[in-house]
Parts: sequence; C-alpha cells; structure tokens
Amino acid sequence: MAGTANGGGGGGIPRDGLPMTMDLVEQMNEQEKRKYVKGKKLGEGTYANVYLGHARHDAGVLVAIKKIKVQKEYKDGLAPDAVRELKHLQELLGHPNIISLLSVFSSKDQNLNLVLEYLPLGDLEMLIRDVDRVRYGTADIKAWMGMLTRAVWFCHDNFVLHRDIKPNNLLIAANGEVKLADFGLARSFADPGTRMTANVITRWYRPPELLFGARHYSGAVDIWSVGLVFAELVLRAPFLPGNTEVDQINLICRQIGTPTEDNWPGVTQLKEYTVPSEVVPVWGKDAYMSRFGGAGSDGVDLLVRTLALDPKNRITAREMLEHRWWRTDPRPTRNEDLPRKSAGGEEKAAVDLSRRNGIVDDGARGTKVARKLDFGAAK
Amino acid sequence: MPVLTSDDMCLVCKTIRYLNKDMEFLINPECYHSMCSNCVNRLFNDGPNQCPYAGCHKTLRRKGFRSAFFGDLTVEREVDIRRRVAAVFNRVEDDFETLRDYNNYLQMVEDLTFDLVSGTDAGRRDAEATLQQWEASHKAEIERNRKAGRDADEMTRRRVNAERDAARQRRVDALREAEDEKVERARSREAELDSLAQGAAPGGGDGQRVQLKRRGQINRATAAAAAAALEPSAVSAGAGPVSSGALASASFSSASGALAEVGRLSIRGLKEKRKPAAAEGPYDPFGGMDFVPSRYRVRGGLDHPWLDKYRLDRSYATGGYSFDEYTRRAMFEAFAGLGVFVDDEKEVGIGLSAREVATIGAGIAAVGDRMELD
Repeated sequence: MAGTANGGGGGGIPRDGLPMTMDLVEQMNEQEKRKYVKGKKLGEGTYANVYLGHARHDAGVLVAIKKIKVQKEYKDGLAPDAVRELKHLQELLGHPNIISLLSVFSSKDQNLNLVLEYLPLGDLEMLIRDVDRVRYGTADIKAWMGMLTRAVWFCHDNFVLHRDIKPNNLLIAANGEVKLADFGLARSFADPGTRMTANVITRWYRPPELLFGARHYSGAVDIWSVGLVFAELVLRAPFLPGNTEVDQINLICRQIGTPTEDNWPGVTQLKEYTVPSEVVPVWGKDAYMSRFGGAGSDGVDLLVRTLALDPKNRITAREMLEHRWWRTDPRPTRNEDLPRKSAGGEEKAAVDLSRRNGIVDDGARGTKVARKLDFGAAK
Repeated sequence: MPVLTSDDMCLVCKTIRYLNKDMEFLINPECYHSMCSNCVNRLFNDGPNQCPYAGCHKTLRRKGFRSAFFGDLTVEREVDIRRRVAAVFNRVEDDFETLRDYNNYLQMVEDLTFDLVSGTDAGRRDAEATLQQWEASHKAEIERNRKAGRDADEMTRRRVNAERDAARQRRVDALREAEDEKVERARSREAELDSLAQGAAPGGGDGQRVQLKRRGQINRATAAAAAAALEPSAVSAGAGPVSSGALASASFSSASGALAEVGRLSIRGLKEKRKPAAAEGPYDPFGGMDFVPSRYRVRGGLDHPWLDKYRLDRSYATGGYSFDEYTRRAMFEAFAGLGVFVDDEKEVGIGLSAREVATIGAGIAAVGDRMELD
C-alpha cells in the first residue's frame, strides 16, 4: 500500500505512507486500524468475534478486538446491539469500573471493530462457580459489590441503563478491578411518552416490573440485578434461577413475596400481571438472615432494599453507596488481595512434578560433559 | 612424537605428563595463566610473587589458585565474571512491572557482562567501575535479593527431597507388598501339599513323588526370589538418594546463579516497594468521584403542563419511571457543551495527529471543568 503513495491525485493531506486517493475519513480510519495488531481468536459470540490483539508500538499493551459480525437481518446498517454498545461505551469513558473503549475502526467489508481493554482474569461468574478452588469472604464480596455499584452509579448518573447486569458481564482486570462490560442492551433513559421494551435483562436477573411487561421504567431495573448478583455472591449459586418467565415470577413470589396492590400500588394493572393464587407475604429481614447471614446484618439490610418489589421503593445506586454497610467491618479487600481464578493450577503442578526427576538426571550428565566441551573449536 | 599441548606440559617448568602422571594444573583468576601445582608451591610458598609468564605483571597469591572447571580457560574466565555479575545484579522477574522492563534490565546486564568479558580496555574499566559502584551503593538490596533467592532454592530443594522420599517410600512399600504376596502364595501351597501328604494313601506313587519333588524346587525358588527382591531395595534405599541429592543441590545452586539478574546505575520499571500496611483512609464507597453538577442545582420536580399528562398516567408510576431522573437529564442536556469552545477546537482540528488533538482536548477539558466528561 505504501508503494502507491505517489500515484494518487493531489488534494489530500499527505499522511505517512497512505495513498492520496483516500479521503480524510478513510485515512483516519486506516491510521487507527494500523495502531493495533490482531492476534488469535479468543471467543465467538452471536453477534461478534473477539480477538486478542496488541498495540503496534508496544507488544506489551494487550487489547481485545471485538469484530461485529454482519447480520442478515440488518443488511442496511449496523445491528442495534453494536450501535448500543458503541454509543454508550463512548459516553461512559473514564470510569475505572467500566470497560474502556480504546478505539473503533472499520476493516474490509465495512466490518466494525471495537478495540476494548483486555481483561485477562475472566469474569465474576467463574469465581462464583469454582467452589472447590476459589474461596472468598465478606470483605471480598464487599469489594466486588462496591466496584459494581460504582459502575452502575456512573451509568445511571450519565443517564444510561445497562439492562444486562449479571456475573458473567462483570469482567476482572489484571489488577483485580471488576469492570462492567457488554453494553449491547444498554439505552439512555427514555423521555416521557417513549416506550421501552420489557424484553431485556437475562431472565434470572430480571426485575418483576419487566416480567409484568412495564414499558416505562428507570434505573431501578439495574438495581434489582445488582441485588441478585449480591445474593449470588453470598450463596455461590443463582438466587432465583427460573426456567421460564412464569417460573421466574413464581420464584420471586415464593422467595421475596407476592406483589400485590398493598405493597406495590398499581401492579395489578400491568399488562402481564399474573401471580400464583397462593399469596406469600413479603419476607422481612429476619427471613433473609438465615440464608444471607454471611454478609452481616448491614449487608442483608442492603440486600433487602435492592430487592424491593415496587421499583419506587427500591434503593438507588447512589443511596446504595451511602449505605452504612461499606463503613462497617470488615473493610473491603484491596484489589490486589482479591481472589483470582486459578489458572489450571493443579494440572500445571502435575506437569511440573512429573518433570522434576528428569531435570536432576540431566544436570548429572551435564557436569561430566562440561569438561570435554571445546569452546575454542567453535571459533 | 606426539604433540605436547599445554594439557601435557607445564609451560613454566616444562615438566611433561610423561614424567609426572599426577601433574595437576592450577589457575589464578587474576590472570588465568595455568601452571602445574609444583610450580605454584615452588613460586608462591613464600608469599605473593609475580606471575612467571613473560609479560604478565600480575602479583599472585597461593591462596588464589584453583583447578579450572572448564578445559577452555576463556570459558572459565567468562563463567567467573558472569557469576560475579549475577551475584550483584540479582533481581528476578517479579521485581519488575512489565516483562519489557525485565527484558531491558537483562539486556543492560548482558551489555555490561559483554564489556567485562570481551570489551576494550576502556570499556572493561568503565564496566568494572559501574559494577563496583552499584555493588557499593546497593549492598542491602543485593543481600536481600540473595537471601530471597536462597530461601526459594531451599524451598524447592525441600520439596524435591520430599517428593523423592515419598517416591522411595512407595517403591519400598510396593516391593514389600509383592514379597508378602509371594510368601503368602508359597505358604498356601505348602499347606496344600501338607494336606496332600497326610491325606494321600501310601500307594499314591507317581503323583505324590512328582508333587514332593516340585516342592523342593519351589522352596529354592522362593528363597532366590526373596533375595532378589531385597537387593534392589537396599540399593535404592542406600546409594541412590544420597548421590542424587548431592547432585540436585549442585544443579540448584548453579541455577540460582543464572537466575539472578542485573541493572545499571538506574533500573527502570522496578515495582514500587510495597509499603508495609499503608495507612489507608476510611473506605470511600464512591471511589473518590462526585458527579454533582457544578453549574446548576436541581431542586424539586420540574413542572410543565406537557409532563402532567404523563405524571397522571398510572403505568409510569407503577413501572418505576422516575420524573426526577428526567428532570436531571433535561437540565444536564441543557447545560451540556457549555465550556466547550468550538473556535479553539477548530484551530486545532485538521493537520494534527490524533494524539496532539487529544492532548489539547484534555487541556480544554481541564479548563472547562468537567462538563464534557459527563
């Protein structure tokens, strides 16, 4: 490409080694694209492939490059989730608990590439599920919850609803910091008179107002998800794993309480309001203490507030951060001391162990050989 | 007549190996000139003396002489130098922020070593001065790293020994089990034959004789097997672990020498020293951030006839829609962009690299408060 640099017609601003035929936008795109080197494929999703990459000037700076697939249904433009992710990530730059978007460029065939920071230590779900090898305590939960709540606070303060908070969207950076990722379902707060879809948020983390089909909601939907992530961190298993939406509503009624006109004025008017005939009163804090006692009394208090049925009574992200739980003992763990995923520790140790004897033998042979080596002859 | 090499003849006293089979060559790391042990005794018995090689004016002491490990003395010298440099520059990868910093450090050490080994006189002098200066000014640190290295070696050695012991124990156990089994089998056969001998009629003839004959063979065979089984276990329990243990420790000490690393007058990318139990302030749940708008204050709800019809709509209240949030956003959007000066940006715009624009943008952002960050 550099060889054609002189061939183009005049007029363009000459830039290092780029053909003059490119217009300014193409040149900028090309420059941005050249800053990164794409490496091996890390994973494949429904609407994007993720590759490991690094900055061209320094191979030590790792990035994740998310290449949006061209989707058949959206031939005329970009898929809506790509637009959402791009739009909201660039609004939410600069918070330590939100994955940062480093660059965007298009590659051949108009494929959109998002350059995101590379978060090598997996996600929170891996840590929660790895019961055998990962141990964590209240202080660790508090640290993770603190980072998650700050991220949600930042989103809401910038008028963005995330709408897909769950443990495997909480990625862990090399320094242990939790980062909220995957803004494919995000949108900004709606104006009055605009309807939002109720079909968002992964089912286990979906709040009752969405299950009942509310079209006008607020940041409270994210707070419900945050509360369920909190519960999951304590239980080390999903708190409300419903198989279907009906099942999910049943679980909520049984575990938290049945939404009625008394505890949630107007709920019966919601379009898809259906609850089991048996009405369970809303459980008090004591009922939670037996299952979530690990978080301490203040922690349970915070949990109960995030799981309020009526979204108007649900605590906000800012109020969560003002809660006394953060100030009571134990103090949240520092990032560098947080538990990490065990990178195949046992298998690796097994390999190391099986190799050890051989090394000793080699050493013994080497000492005899050393004398006979004639280094001079090599010159 | 065979060619006499310096391996066969002492270049100082011209003694040849033919006359003295046990001739041993020694070198002194001052100048690496080799001579036979007789010459060393003869020349340096009465204290320091000059090297007998013509043109070498180094003053040598008897104490400094040793036999060379490598046949090639230039290699011997290089290994000595490397050992010395490694003892001073003994950092490990964990001390560095990034792999790149560590590699730079290794490169620096290698450059210095090269200067010492095969540099010019001036280069060698400089490198020597650098090395000594570094050693003098970082004594405590070097000592600490050395101790850490020793501890790590010690741990590895202990683990390897434990593994070896466990393996040996397993082998011995397996042998004993096999032996027990054999004895048990022999005993049951014995019992079988006894019952046969007692129970059989005297006229049993052939069959019995065959059985008894075989019994003698079996007895002999078991004895031999037992002896054979004992022998290897004695070997493995005795000589094996001792010798390999010694070898293991030797190879580990040389490994620690190679592991230890380097640096010049300033090493870049070293990790900050962990402050012991840094006195932290109270935990800040907000992470030191505050998004309260600086140019206006939001009070109460926004009243507007246009909003009222939505306010009265029950589905908004039930779904949790927040009109306060709408007010905040409306205010924010009304003020967004104030403090951003388009003229300033226009001047910068085209013809600058993205990086320059970013720097200038950051400057503007700093001046223009935090409006455009939101």
